[in-house]
Formats: sequence, C-alpha cells, structure tokens
Amino acid sequence: MLYFVRRAGFFLATLWAAVTLNFLIPRLQPGDPAQAMLNRLQGETTAVNPAQLEAIRKLLGTPDGNLLSQYWDYLGAICTGHFGVSYSYFPYTVTAMISSALPWTLILVGVTQMLSFAIGTLLGAWAAYRRNSRVDSVITLGSTFVGTLPFFWLALLLIFVFAITLNWFPDGGGYGGGSSPSWTWLFVSDAFQHSVLPAVALLITGPIGWIIGMRNNMVQTLGEDYARLARAKGLPRRRIALTYGARIAILPNVTGFAIALGSLLGGTVLVETIFNYPGLGRLLLEAVSNKDYPLMQALFLFTTIGVLTANFLADVTYGFLDPRVRRAEAV
Amino acid sequence: MTRRARLKTLIAALACVSLLLAGCTGTEGQTTASSGDGMVDFLNYGDFGGGAAPKPNYNPYLETTKLSAADYIYEPLMYVEGYSCKALPWLATAYQWTDPQTLVYTVRDGVKWNDGKPFTAADVAFTFTMIKKYPALDLKGVWTYLSAVKADGNKVTMSFKKPAASVFTLVSDVRIVPEHVWSKVADPTTFTNATAPVGTGPMKVKSFNPRQLVVERNPDYWQADKIKVKELRFNKADAGGQVEQLKLSRGEYDTNAMFVQDIKKAYVDRDPKNHHYWYAPGGVISVYMNLTETPFNDAAFRKALTTAFNHQQVIDRAQLGYVTQASQSGLVVPGQKDWLPQGLADDGRIKYDPAAADKALTDAGYTKDSKGHRLGKDGKPISFSFKVPGSYVDWVAAADILIKNLTALGFNVTKDTPTPEAHDQERATGNYDMMFGVHGGGCNMYANFSDPLNSARTAPIGKKADSNEIRWQDPKTDELLSQLETSPDEGTQKQAVAGLVDIMMNQVPMIPIWYGAKWFQYDTKKAEGWPNEQDPYADGGNGLVVLTHLVPSSGS
Repeated sequence: MLYFVRRAGFFLATLWAAVTLNFLIPRLQPGDPAQAMLNRLQGETTAVNPAQLEAIRKLLGTPDGNLLSQYWDYLGAICTGHFGVSYSYFPYTVTAMISSALPWTLILVGVTQMLSFAIGTLLGAWAAYRRNSRVDSVITLGSTFVGTLPFFWLALLLIFVFAITLNWFPDGGGYGGGSSPSWTWLFVSDAFQHSVLPAVALLITGPIGWIIGMRNNMVQTLGEDYARLARAKGLPRRRIALTYGARIAILPNVTGFAIALGSLLGGTVLVETIFNYPGLGRLLLEAVSNKDYPLMQALFLFTTIGVLTANFLADVTYGFLDPRVRRAEAV
Repeated sequence: MTRRARLKTLIAALACVSLLLAGCTGTEGQTTASSGDGMVDFLNYGDFGGGAAPKPNYNPYLETTKLSAADYIYEPLMYVEGYSCKALPWLATAYQWTDPQTLVYTVRDGVKWNDGKPFTAADVAFTFTMIKKYPALDLKGVWTYLSAVKADGNKVTMSFKKPAASVFTLVSDVRIVPEHVWSKVADPTTFTNATAPVGTGPMKVKSFNPRQLVVERNPDYWQADKIKVKELRFNKADAGGQVEQLKLSRGEYDTNAMFVQDIKKAYVDRDPKNHHYWYAPGGVISVYMNLTETPFNDAAFRKALTTAFNHQQVIDRAQLGYVTQASQSGLVVPGQKDWLPQGLADDGRIKYDPAAADKALTDAGYTKDSKGHRLGKDGKPISFSFKVPGSYVDWVAAADILIKNLTALGFNVTKDTPTPEAHDQERATGNYDMMFGVHGGGCNMYANFSDPLNSARTAPIGKKADSNEIRWQDPKTDELLSQLETSPDEGTQKQAVAGLVDIMMNQVPMIPIWYGAKWFQYDTKKAEGWPNEQDPYADGGNGLVVLTHLVPSSGS
C-alpha cells in the first residue's frame, strides 16, 4: 500500500512543479504578444504603428499586474477549467480551439501509434524468432537504416512523389477546400484521403523503436534457462516463442507504449506542421510562435498531465505485475 | 488463387478505392475561368489570415485575427492607396477642411448595405462613436485627436481637439460599419460577425471552411459596374512555404503575396506570358546608430558614413535584387516623389563611395593609425557591434556586407546575432551600437517622420522607446513635425517635409539602405488589370482597389 501512496504523492508533487514551470517559462522569454502578432501579419519590413500596437494590447488584455497575482489567477483558472481567450484566435476561447483540433490528432496519431506498436512488436518478435536468419537481418538492418533518415525529409519526399508528381493524394490539410467538417460519407472519405500520407509517414518511422526493443528483449528471453528447458522438453518452437518468449519480452514495451500515448502531443508537432494537419501539434507550434500564452499554457498543461498520468499508471501497473518493485520501495 | 495473384488483386483493389476517393474532393479541381457574360468566374487568391486553424471572423477591427474577406466587405471613407498615397473617394465623395480643426466629409449617395438598407452619414458617426467607446477598436488612434463626430444630412463633421491635418489619412481609413447591426452588438471587441456580415463592399461571404474562404460578388454594390469577378477564393497557405511555392509556380494562384527564392526561375519562366510579379517598395530599412554614444553622436561622423555602404551589393546579394536603394530623404521614392524638395540629386539616393567616406571621416577628425585602425577623437581605435536577428537570413547577409564596408574603413565591428524578440527589445531600450531599424513607408507623412524622429516618442536608454528608437532629440525637428502635424495647407506641409528631408540629408539621424519589398505575384491567364510598375495605380496589397481594375483577360 505504501508503494501506491508514495507513487501518488510523487505524481502530485511533479504535477505542481510542472504546472508552475508551465506558468513561468513563457513569461521569462522576451517579447510581446501584440508585437509578435503584428510582426507576423505585416512582415518585419513594415514599420510598426504604435497606435495600432496599443489598440491590440488593449484588446488582448495582455497580462499586467505582478507575477504572483497572475499566478493565483492562473491556478484558479486551471482548477475551474477556464483557460481564457486565445490571443492568436481572438475572440475564440482556448477551449474552443483545442476541442476543434483534438479529434484530428487523436484519430491520426492515436491510430498510427497503436498500429506502429502492433506492427513493431510483431516484426520485432518475428525477427527474434528467426534470429540471425535473412529475415532478421532485413528487419533489423532495414529499420536501423530507415531510423537514420530524418522524418521531415521522408515526409517531404512522400508529398513530392505522391501528392505533387503522381497527384494521388492531396499535399496537405485535414480535408479539401470544398468540403466542411460533418459526418457525411463525402467528408469522411475526403478526410481519410487527406490522412493517408501523414499516416504513412508516421507508420514508416513509428514502429522502429518497438521493433528493436522487442527483438532485443525477446532474443534475451529466448536465451533464458526456462526457454532452453522448454526446448529440451520438446515443445514446438512456435509455442516457445509466443507463449514464453514474446509474452515476457513485451512487458517493457507495454510501459513504453503507455508513456508514448501520454506524450502524443509532442510527437505530432512535426508531422502536423509538414502536412498542415489541423491538429494539436500545429496549434501548439503556432501558439508558441505567436506568444499566445493562454493557448500555449493549456496545451502544455495537457501534455504534462498526459505524460504524468501515463507514468503514474505505468508505475501502478508495474507494481501489480512485478511484486519485486513493490517490495523494494516498501523497505 | 496463388499468393502472388492475391497480392496483385489487393493492390488493384486499393488503387481503385483511392481513385474513387480522389473523385470526391469537392470543387477544388474545377478549372473553368470565364463565362460568356464578360465576367471572370472566380479567381484563386492566397492565404486569408486567421492562423493555421482559422475560425470565421469578419470583424474589421480585430486586426490580427480577422479573415481577409472583411477587407472586401467593409469600406473606408477615402481609400488611401499605398503606392503614391493618393486618397481615392470611396464612401465619401469629397472632404474639406473648413478650418484647421474641422474636417467635413460628404458621403456618397445611393450606397446600400448588402442587406438592402441605405448607407447614411449616421452610420459614419455611429462607427466613430463606437471606436471611441471601445479604445481597443481604435487601431489608428484617431481619438487622440478627435473631439466629436457629427452627422448632418449627407455631411459628416469631425472636430479635433487641436489642429490635426495629419490625421486625415487615419480618419479616412477607418472601416465603416452599419448602425442597424452593430448597435445591437453587446461587445464589439469580442464580436466575430461570423454569419452574413453586413457591409457596403463589393463582396459577400459565400462559404467558409478552415481551408478555403469564398466571397461572391455583391450585385447591389455602388460601383458594381467595375466589378468583373464573380468570386474570390482564398486558400489557406500550407505551413511549409515550399509546397505553396510549388502551387504558385503551377499557376494555382491568380495572385499571391509570398517570398519566393529566385522568382524568375520558379515562377515567371514557368509561363512568361502570364506569370508576373511586382515588388513595390515599402518600409525603409535603415542603419540605426545609438545617438547617445560616441562617435555616433557626431553629425559629421554620421554624414561621412552615408557613402560608406555598398547598397547595390546588399540589393543584389542579400535581397536577391527584389528591392531598390532607399533615399536618404526618408521618403519612399519614386512613389512619394511629389513630396521631395526641388533639386535633390537623384531623389536623395547617395552613391557608394568608400574613398569619399574615408576622406570625410579623416576631415571630421577620425584619422587612421599606422596599422589602418580608425581612431576616435580620444585617440583610441573605434570598435562597436552590429546587432542583427540571427534568424533573418537576408538581414544577416546585408549586415555582413555593411560590416565588411565598415571594416574596410578601419573600424573594428563585431556581429551580434540575438533572437528576433531580444533584438526588438534591445532596439526599443537603446541597448545597441548599430543595428537595422524599420520606419516610414506609409502614407501618413507625419507618422513617417514623427515615429522615428519625434523627441516625444523616445525614452531614456534602458526604457522602452515608443518608436524613436535612435533617440533623436532636436528642437528644430520637433518644430517642423508640429507644422506638418497641424497644417491643412499642402504648401505648408511640403515646406515642413522639405525641412525634415534637409535634416535627414545633412544631420543623418539614420542611414536608409533599402526599401522592404511588398511581395505581389499575379497571373494574367484569367484576369488582367493588376497593378504593376507601368501602371502603379495602387500597390498589390490594396485588394479593394485592385478588384475594381480587374477585367477578364483579352487572351482567354
């Protein structure tokens, strides 16, 4: 029991620290949201009109007052779920912006993460089962090679070949200019078509970590005494690999997967930016470059909570799965 | 079926599905351009603002988040075009200064809001009263000068607290909204105006989604005979510029305003008959010197530096030949040439002449020592830093050339590359020796000179200056500025500008190098009449004016 209390305490302390840093870091950077937005709008080669800057500052209600009172307001807002009005999408609220972007990220990245995990684990297991064969070298070397390619390069290559040259798929966006979000066959098929290239890009690079991890774990478990015993006993090779090797080797990957799902947002910035996908990652990038504090804080907060919760759950699950962990901490 | 045959079938099936799906992407692929009625069916424009995940917002006062459709729905009293700064009669047909504190506009008869109600002078008075009540909407700061706005018949009378002729371009430019709609809005600062926005303009919102915004012709527009385009389609720009450039080069945009590396090869050469660009000069990019430091506080020193910089190399190498040399006068030539005093050689452009700079420096008491170091008046070698934002690649390239020019004269110059935010902050607080600054380029002649030079707009070193970041303080300048600010008489205004130009030429508060370019590409496949160097009736960004000049292409 003590183990779980400790974990929960640790979770809360980290959460508070993260929330506070989340408040402080954006405010320590130089720059003014009104100025940042105006620069972006006009380009840096246009002189800024001071009256206009003043009007925009008034409009946004750029925070003044001392840091401590801002901090109190911020904590209060988090507890009540009021994240305020976005600067870069004024007068729309942060909640409105996030809720319209969330489904896109959840579907694209959620699905590809799960597929990556499944594909990666299966391929890794297969490589370990046929270790030192041609299959193993193709999988291991192939994934190591693909892993060294920069993601943005792969993504741009996909756009160039399949969108620009062959014109099979659209070059970006979540859906076409002619349709608008609704639950109709037309829109869903359009959205599906737009998701193919980003999904493929994610699926090329996504499984690599899982492949390598799974293969190495499983090669190790298959070399354990109990696996050797099973082989001596005359159990079929396939059964040894699946029931004794893979089942144990997959454990660390499951923990990793929980954390990967929690940090979903961080991984989406690049893919959503390149494919101009209307999800959370692109929203985050824009919030940061526009100094949109309210939006930025809410997004960072969700990421932080996501990662911490996933970590906590992984810890708890581990405690259940592996009695040694619980005992070691309780001593 | 064998395994291989099965695989083939699967691939074929997938290919079929993706082809089917490709068939249902809506109206994107439509290519018809002009129909038989002498109109252009539609034109594809570039981005429509509102960020990467735009939401409908047609509130003309929400400068940073409104969508560009608002520019075609709401109109000003007079449209001051951005190239030669002519005030074109728009919702007002005429204006008159009855005395230096009173400006009277005559509003146009027969103008209708797009919901059928008539537009009147009362709407103008309502608009101005509203932005007084909500200072966040007063983007031009007109109420720092205004005291009252009254409507009477077809006249609108604006009274000012003090003589304020210079405010004319600002007042004229305020977008007018209908009283019968906006008087019912609870808070216009958070009003998105998202459904069927009511304006007087040539276009109405037809459809919106975050990827595409379509506006359609308003048949009841007061100058509908001049609008020959049925639809404008604004397309969300992809975050990555490369894809956008590719689309531009393939002719998918009828007009756009983006930076393109090697525009000739990437765009013009793809279709030399139809693909064109015109980069009108915009803001003045100058070398700012910290005037509170030696040797920059010496006018003779600053004047010597005016011939020290190789403008042409900056233009060709750092700015890809897209820009032109800036006049030392501080004005944007040739557009604002009419304001220049008579007899200014080459409109105030100063030739690069390192030998002359060397001589002028020596004559001013800044001699070189035996090792070639330029010495200050205290006998010590002069060394200072040049700050430039590290991520502005073109500015860094320009700074490198200028630093080379300075080094050749014997100065010890180091380059400092802060982030853009830190750079702007340090410029505002005066924490620099030398750096680039942007000023002028607008149509309000008073603001062009007052923003960078007015002693009321500066602050001590360490405090954020409003806009006078070089910390120029000169009673003569202030006097000329106040003359320019208050006099409604054009002759007196020109006299004041001539005085200010003289200060720029002889006292050299800063050294203009080049004019920022206003990016503008256009395609004459479907429509012609776009502004260009031969016909500069406006700049490419004056969408409303440009739209009234567009006609179907004669070639198509």
